[in-house]
Amino acid sequence: MLKAQNNPSASQNRSAGSEFWAGVREEVPLIFGVAPFGLVFGVLGIESGLTPWQTILMSSILFGGASQIVFAQLWAAGVPALIVGGSVCVINLRHVLYSASIAAYLRHLPLRWRILLGYLLTDEAYAISIRRLQHEPPGSNQHFHLLGSGMLLWVSWQFATIFGVLVGGTIPDSWSLSFAIPLTFIAVVAPILKTRADLAAVMTAGTIAIIGQPLPWNSWLIIAAICGILAGWLVSRLNHQAGATS
Amino acid sequence: MIWFIMIATGLFTFATRFIMLSNGISNRPPPWLVDALGFVPIAVLTAIIVPAILLDPADQTIALWDNPRLFAAALAIIAALVTRQMITTIGVGLVALWILQWAM
Repeated sequence: MLKAQNNPSASQNRSAGSEFWAGVREEVPLIFGVAPFGLVFGVLGIESGLTPWQTILMSSILFGGASQIVFAQLWAAGVPALIVGGSVCVINLRHVLYSASIAAYLRHLPLRWRILLGYLLTDEAYAISIRRLQHEPPGSNQHFHLLGSGMLLWVSWQFATIFGVLVGGTIPDSWSLSFAIPLTFIAVVAPILKTRADLAAVMTAGTIAIIGQPLPWNSWLIIAAICGILAGWLVSRLNHQAGATS
Repeated sequence: MIWFIMIATGLFTFATRFIMLSNGISNRPPPWLVDALGFVPIAVLTAIIVPAILLDPADQTIALWDNPRLFAAALAIIAALVTRQMITTIGVGLVALWILQWAM
């Protein structure tokens, strides 16, 4: 007890509410990118032949932007269900990394908390809350930060999807709104390309995505993605070895 | 069928998020797997970006010089590198595409 009182970080322990609202506040700038993306998904889902309920519920069942877009596009192209499912799963594998990186801060929590925060662990919520967890003093309520950032993202994504479903039919084709999808991904990918291994992954995935177009069942996407991952990984391995031997 | 695939992929996606938070797995994934997973976003997203820009939506052939999407994407890449903001990148790319489609 005395020890806790003397511990300066304990006296600075922030309340659950203050952690939660800090998470919400810090997430706000990312919503400007997420909202148009969700809107585009809503429009695209309907255009792909999904029903409004399928489109809207996919945003809470999958809750992963890129994978939802791919799901709708492949489904619309009449791709076999196994390829649709496989492509979606490969795209979402990256979450294992976020889960591993954030586990040390959450593993002591009760199961219901870990299930809830796991469900809310998206690219955008992770990006904001890992900064607080790593760089600010630990606190017993620090998980409320991820709850705040994750819930704001979830609510925004659902509303953007619903809005897209409602207005979809009224947006003229000449606006080329579906072009916002590659643009969104350019905004994600371009700034994070740093190493030769990254470039190898990009060149390989991009090239195979084009020359693989004639492959059956739109399997070019999953094949290009896997080859790009392998190329980047191999080049990073070679660089590590070159660094170790020189 | 679509509901089955949606729920199955939804459960898989939840598993990718929850797996390291479960108490069953106490170790971090091996370093080679962490390295490989680090390339998932750029490989997947590039495989979506490149055909969406290069292939003509009408007939799925490769379009280069008469392709407004290619030039709009180039401007968007510059905007992304300079501003690092999603909303600016989308705005620059869409406005460039509208102007180019009107002019070309």
